[in-house]
Formats: sequence, structure tokens, C-alpha cells
Amino acid sequence: MSVDHFWTAFAFGPFMNALLIGLSVASIWLIAALGLAIVYGTMGVINMAHGEFVMLGAYSAFVLERYLGVPFLACIPCAFVIVAAIGAVIELGLVRYLYRRPLDTLLATWGLSLVLIQTVRLILGPEPKNIASPEFLNSSVQFWVFSLSLFRLFVIAVTLATFAGTWWLMHRTRVGLMVRAVMQNKEIASAHGIDTGRVYTLTFAYGAGLAGLAGAMFGAIKNVFPDMGSGYIVEAFLVVVVGGVGSLIGSLVSAVGLGEIYSVFAYFTNGTFAKFWLFLLVVVFLRFRPQGLFAESLGRR
Amino acid sequence: MLELRDVTSYYGSTPIIQGLSLDLAKGDLLSVIGRNGVGKTTLARTILGLTTRVTGSIRINGQEVAQLPTHRRAAAGIGYIPQGRGILPKFSVRENILLGTFARKDGNAEVPAKVLDLFPYLADNLDKSAGILSGGQAQQLAIARALATDPSLLILDEPTEGIQPNIVEQIQQLVISLNRQLGITVILIEQNVEFAKNAATRFVIMDKGAIAAKGPVEDLSDDLIEQHLTI
Repeated sequence: MSVDHFWTAFAFGPFMNALLIGLSVASIWLIAALGLAIVYGTMGVINMAHGEFVMLGAYSAFVLERYLGVPFLACIPCAFVIVAAIGAVIELGLVRYLYRRPLDTLLATWGLSLVLIQTVRLILGPEPKNIASPEFLNSSVQFWVFSLSLFRLFVIAVTLATFAGTWWLMHRTRVGLMVRAVMQNKEIASAHGIDTGRVYTLTFAYGAGLAGLAGAMFGAIKNVFPDMGSGYIVEAFLVVVVGGVGSLIGSLVSAVGLGEIYSVFAYFTNGTFAKFWLFLLVVVFLRFRPQGLFAESLGRR
Repeated sequence: MLELRDVTSYYGSTPIIQGLSLDLAKGDLLSVIGRNGVGKTTLARTILGLTTRVTGSIRINGQEVAQLPTHRRAAAGIGYIPQGRGILPKFSVRENILLGTFARKDGNAEVPAKVLDLFPYLADNLDKSAGILSGGQAQQLAIARALATDPSLLILDEPTEGIQPNIVEQIQQLVISLNRQLGITVILIEQNVEFAKNAATRFVIMDKGAIAAKGPVEDLSDDLIEQHLTI
């Protein structure tokens, strides 16, 4: 590659469009990160199998659409429910026994991710599958200098709705009060009648469900294959760590920030180089602010 | 209403309380006194199920709870005001009080009116962040939160510790009136022997994880205090 082809000169229209693509990238990273953020923030569990929950969501959507004829838009909430149920079973059967042992949880969930990948590979085969999304989502919209596929707008809308719904659930309902109480002080919460075990099961299931919902959309954007989860997990972790553990707003701000940084660098150079700069900036940022942007929970455990 | 039989309670594999038995009738106010590190706080945490492991029997209103998880003991009627108050600093005053309602049996999900009547300062500042309350206000909040569980037994762990002196008396009066006026059975863990004596109907002196002396408060003589509490 010659240097001439490496740099792209600034041009107003395409640059504005790159900013819009940045939002689209941010929405994908945010919806992938949301479940991770909630599970880590509430339970202190770093779920290495989160990417595989994304994968399971994608396969749920694929199987439902291909073999049962469920329309794509209905597959998305179904993927949430299916993966949430799988998450609940995993919490009750595995994660439950590893609280207060973060290193063991890390290894166990990583092992779990390998099991899930191989299980899916054995049952459904290693070759990539496609989820057919409805025609109207595959068109693209143009206005002023912007041009974006309707599907990417759809992902932004679903992400915003999911984020708003999660915020409402956490801050405006009794279940959310329970979760936030357990987040701050597990002992005090249980001494006032909150069943912390049940809160953990529900939280883990909800986080898994969000990953499943994300997977159903990701599967339609690209395609579905057994180790697709690893393609999302790194960015999801970046969003959570930069945003600050336990802060939903932090995750939102950091996803938008990181998505835009990536997209702007990708505009001037290319995607690979942009990732390099993104990772470098995150490392430097964490050197000076290891607790992330919104440090709600440092020193909690 | 509370009955402990041969209770041994462990942190990890170390027994902190050994072979302890205790009876408490409805309406009693039991003062638990003793030097630092003799197991007073552990006794409270044992009744709540916050230690690693327990053997023996703990009955509340006839219900065996020794092996139940903490949240079910709270629902069985224990209100807990921990040492250091345990206020959740990121919650508002209202959210802290609402936390207590999860242990209620009547399903009331509002801040109970009874609690608001008792604590006018809290009633006026429901939306204030609990993290910025003074020690005395935070102690009121911890008591309000425990009362919101509608308890038949209140366990207070050093409620006057670290409170500004002009508020201490107020807290002491409150503890006494909760017992005498509202008829709530109270276990009061206290370093301040004078307060412990004034408030109590019965007392327990703890030493080395066991009960060294107990009885009605009239039997709490200066000799006993001398023997077990002076250093």
C-alpha cells in the first residue's frame, strides 16, 4: 500500500457521514456492552462468555427464522428470552458457586465460552449462516450529506430503546431498587429482606438476554458463525472499562466517544489503523483514569 | 420471642461465639455489654445470619431460623441497625427507607407514615442524598429503615457511636421509647454502660465469645461492671 492511498483528504460531506457511521458503530458496541456492564456492575462477575451469549442470540434468530419461519423482527425479542433463559440456567448451575472468587469466575466463564462454541459447531456446523432481514431494512436512506442503510438506523433505534428501557428498569422500578441496593451493599440489602441470590440470577439472565438481542441483530448485519462472539467482546469490554464500572450513563458516553474516535480515524486512514489508535488511546486514558469516566463503584468490593 | 440454644458461630473456620444460649421475652430491652472484641457484634450478625456458619438453634417467634438465609430472617421480623449505620450513600433518604419495605409481610411499598411521624427531619428531606447526612441524621435514617421492615425485634449495634454529643441523648430517648411506647423488643449492643443500664430491662455481659453474666437489669451491679468491663 502506498502512502498516497493511505490517507484520505478531508471532505465535508463524507466526513459528516463518517460521524454518522460512528454513531452506528457506537450503537453496536453499546448494545453488546450493556449486558456485560450490568452483570459486572451488580455482581462483580467478569463474564468471558458474554460474546458467546451474543452468538447464541444470533443462532436463536437464525434457527427461528430458517426452521420455524418466524419473521425477523419477532426473532429479536425471542432471542432475548431464549438467551436470558440460558443465562439463568448458567447462573444457577455454575456462576452461583463462584461468587467472591473473581479469578475462578473468569476461568470458568472462559471455559464455558469454549463449550458453547464447540456445542454450536457440533450441532449446526462450522460454516457461516445468513439471517435474512426484511427487504425494507436493506434499503438506504439519503438526506442532506448523509447516507446510511436503514438497518443501521434500526440498530441505533433498538439500542436507544433498550438503553432507555434498562435505565427505567434500574431507576424507576422496585426490582431496579433491589438491584441497585445489592450493587452498593449486599449485606445491608439482604438484612432488609432482599433475596440477593434471586437478584443475581435475574441480573445475569437480563445481561445474557441483552447479549442475545444484540446477537440477533449482529447476525443479520454480517453473518452467523460459532466464534462470532470474539469479534464483539473486545469492544464491549473497552466500552465498559472506559465508561466506568456500574454506570449505565458511563457506558453510553464511552460507546459514543469510542465509536466516533474509531470512525474518524477510519475515515482518514483505514479500519485496521483506526483500531490501533483506538486501543492506544484507551490504554493511555486508563493509565490516567483507571476507574473510567464515571467512577461510581471504585472501592466497593 | 427470641431463643438461642447452644449457638456456635464461625468466621471462616474460627468459632467466634461458642455454645451461647439466650432467651428474650416480648417487650424486653436486652443490653449486651462487654469489652471490645468479645463477640457482641458477632452475636448480632449471628442472629441475622451474616457469619460464615452457625450450629445450634435460633428461634424467632417460635420459627427456627438458624439455617435460613439472611433475607428470610429479616422477613421473620428482625430489624437491623448495624455498627457504622450501613446507609447506602448513593441512595436518597427515600430509597434508603424503601429498602426496609422489602422485608414487610403486608406488601406495602411506600414509606410508612409511622416512620415519617417519628423522624420529621427525614420526612422533610426525602429526596436528599443519604451520602451527605451527618452522623446523627444517618443514625435516624438507619433506625427509620429498620422500622420500615415492621420488625418485632430490633437489633441496634452501638447506635450512639460516633454521634455528636448533643444528639446522643436524642437517640437514647428514641431507643427507649421504641421499646416502651411501641412495644418493640430490642437488643441493644452498647459501649456506654450508663445508657445500656438506663435503657435495659435485662442485660448480658459477654466475654470471649460467651456469656459471662446475665439477668434482669437490677442485678447489673457495679461489681459486675468492674469485673468485666474495666480494662
